[in-house]
Amino acid sequence: MNRRQLLSAFSAVAGASILTPELAQAAAQLGQGAASGVDWQVGFADLEADVPRAPMRRIRGRAPAGLAGSLYRNGPGKFHRPGGSVDHWFDGDGLMRAFRIADGGATVEARFVDTPKRRADTAAGAVVTPGFGTAGRPGARVRNNDDVNAANIAVMPVGNEVWALWEAGSPIVMNASDLSTTGIKTLRDDLAHVPFLAHPRRDPGGDIWSLGVSGARALVWRLSPNGGVRSAEMIELPTASYIHDFTATRTHLILILQPWIQDRMVMPYNDSFTWKPDLGVKVLVLDKSDLSRRRTYELPTFFAFHYGSAWAEADGTIRFDGCFTDDPKFATLNGRALMTGAWISQPASQLGMIALHPDGRATLARTGVGAEFPRSDGRMAGTSRRYTVHAASAAPNAPLFHGVATHDWKTGASDAFDFGVHHLVEEAVFVARPGGSDELDGWLLAPSVNTRVRATELHVFDARRLSAGPLCTWRSEHVLPVSLHGVFVKG
Amino acid sequence: MKTLPLIATLLLATVTIAPGARAAEAASLTVTFKGLTARSGSILFTVVNSEDAYNDKARAVTQAILPANADTVSQTFTGLAPGRYAIKAFHDVNGDGKMGMNPFGMPTEPFAFSNKAVASMGPPNWEAAAFELKAGENIRSIDID
Repeated sequence: MNRRQLLSAFSAVAGASILTPELAQAAAQLGQGAASGVDWQVGFADLEADVPRAPMRRIRGRAPAGLAGSLYRNGPGKFHRPGGSVDHWFDGDGLMRAFRIADGGATVEARFVDTPKRRADTAAGAVVTPGFGTAGRPGARVRNNDDVNAANIAVMPVGNEVWALWEAGSPIVMNASDLSTTGIKTLRDDLAHVPFLAHPRRDPGGDIWSLGVSGARALVWRLSPNGGVRSAEMIELPTASYIHDFTATRTHLILILQPWIQDRMVMPYNDSFTWKPDLGVKVLVLDKSDLSRRRTYELPTFFAFHYGSAWAEADGTIRFDGCFTDDPKFATLNGRALMTGAWISQPASQLGMIALHPDGRATLARTGVGAEFPRSDGRMAGTSRRYTVHAASAAPNAPLFHGVATHDWKTGASDAFDFGVHHLVEEAVFVARPGGSDELDGWLLAPSVNTRVRATELHVFDARRLSAGPLCTWRSEHVLPVSLHGVFVKG
Repeated sequence: MKTLPLIATLLLATVTIAPGARAAEAASLTVTFKGLTARSGSILFTVVNSEDAYNDKARAVTQAILPANADTVSQTFTGLAPGRYAIKAFHDVNGDGKMGMNPFGMPTEPFAFSNKAVASMGPPNWEAAAFELKAGENIRSIDID
C-alpha cells in the first residue's frame, strides 16, 4: 500500500466517525508528509535585490578540466509587492543569472531585467501591469506588448550581449559581462513590438529562427547569427493556438498547434484561451526556403510546452520529442496555485516521440517517463539523435522535479540521478567536451534549489554517467528563485 | 519683411486661433512635449474641445506639427474659448506623416495624451484625457517617447 492509498484509507475512516485522537493525529501527520514535507516555497520566493558577482563554494568533487564558460539562465524572480502581487508564476519579473566557471571555480551573479513593467510596478508599489495570469490594475500604462514584457523565460547569446526572451514581446538586450540592461531590441523599425518566442531554433549554418504569434497569424523571424533580420514573413495559421515552442529540421519549420485557442483578447492573457480537446492537434510543416509550401498532420489532443530538435530520416519521416500532458492545467491552475504556496496534485508531463510519416500519418509514442525541460546535444540539431536530457523524478505533491535523467531512445533506458525531495532541480544544459564529437561526450550543468539549506547549487555531471552523481557541486550563499531556461557560452 | 511661407507660420511659437476674441474672456494654451529621445521627424498633435472631436467625429480646434529637434518642444495657442479640452499626439519619427504600425496593428511610434492619461490596451477615453482650460494662460506638459 502506498502513501496515497493509506491517506485515502484514513480519510474514509475519519468520515466514519470512529477515528480515535491518536489515529487522527497520525492521519494529520501523514497528510502533511503526503502533502510534501518539503519547503518548496523557498524556490518561489522573491529575490529582493540583484546579487552582485560572488564566488560559489565548492562542496563536492572537482570541476572537470576543459569546462570553462558562462551558464546564463532566465526565470521569474519577483512576485510580491506591498500593494498587490502577481497571480501567476509566469508573471514574475525576469531575473537573469550568470554562473561563470573558470579554473575550477564558479561565481554566480543575478540581475533583474530592467523592463517598463518592473519600473511601473516598482513605482506603484504594486503589480499593476497585466500579464499571462495576472489581471493588473485598470489604468496601468499599456501602449504596446513591450509595456507588459516580463522578459522572464529564456536567454539567447548574441555577440557580447545576452537577450532576455519572453514570448509575447521583443527580446531585451543585456550586457553579457555585467547583466546590465541595454534596452528593448527593435529588430526592424517597422516590426517594433512584434513578439519573439522564447525558444528560437538555430540552423546548422547559424541562422536563428523564431516566431511572433498573434491570434491565427505568425511572423516567421529569420535572423543572422549576429541578430540582423534576414527575413520576416507573415504566415496564416489554421487555428489561433497558444504557441510556446516549435521545432525544426535542417530544411523545415514545424509548428504544433494545440487546441488551446484564442477567441478574445482580455487580461489576464490566459483567459483569452479556451481548451477545445475535440479539435485535436494540427502539426504544420513549412519549407524554410518557401513558407507557402506546407504540409499538415493531425494528432489526438495533447498539451505540451516544450519540444526537442527534429530530424528527417531518409524516407522523409520527421521525428521529434517533447514533454506531453493531457491538458493545459499547469498553465491555468498550478501556475496560479503555487503563487499562493499551494500545489494541486497533477500527473507529471511525460516524455514522448512524435513521428510524421511520409504517407501523412502522424503518431505520438509516450514513454511513461515523467519529464520536463527536454534538452539535447546541440551539435545534433537537425540530425538523428539517440538521447534526450530532461528533468526527472517529479515531486508527487510539490512543483517541479528532484532529479535529472538522460533517456536513450534506442534502448528505452534511463540514466538518472535523484537528489532527493529537498532539491528543486532545474533544466540541465549540455556542454560538449572540447575535442570530443560523440553525442553527449561532455557535461550537464544543472542548478538546483536546496530547500534544506536554502541555497542555490550548481551541479556538473558527466553527461554519459548521471547515475554516478555530480562530478562537482558549488553552493551559493543566496537562494535564487528557480529558473526556466538557459544557455552555455564557452570561454 | 518678406511674407513667411505657410509652414513657417505653423511653426511660429505662438498661433492665434481666434484673434477676434475679447482678451478678458480668451484663454491661451502652451503645449510642451518633454522627454523626446528620437531627434528626428515631428510631433503631430490635435487639440480638441469635445468628446466627439476627441473621437474623430467632429472637427478639432487645431492641429499642429512641431519639429522634434530638442528634448523639449512647445507651441502656444491664443484666442481660445475656455472649456474642457484634450490633446492627442504622436511622434512621427520617420517623417512619413502617419503613425507607424507593425503588421499586427501595434503603433511603432511614440504617442501620448494630455492630463497624463495613459493608453491601456487602447487609447484613454475623453474623460481621462480632458482638462479644464481657464481664461488666461494655461500650460499643459506632455511626456512623449
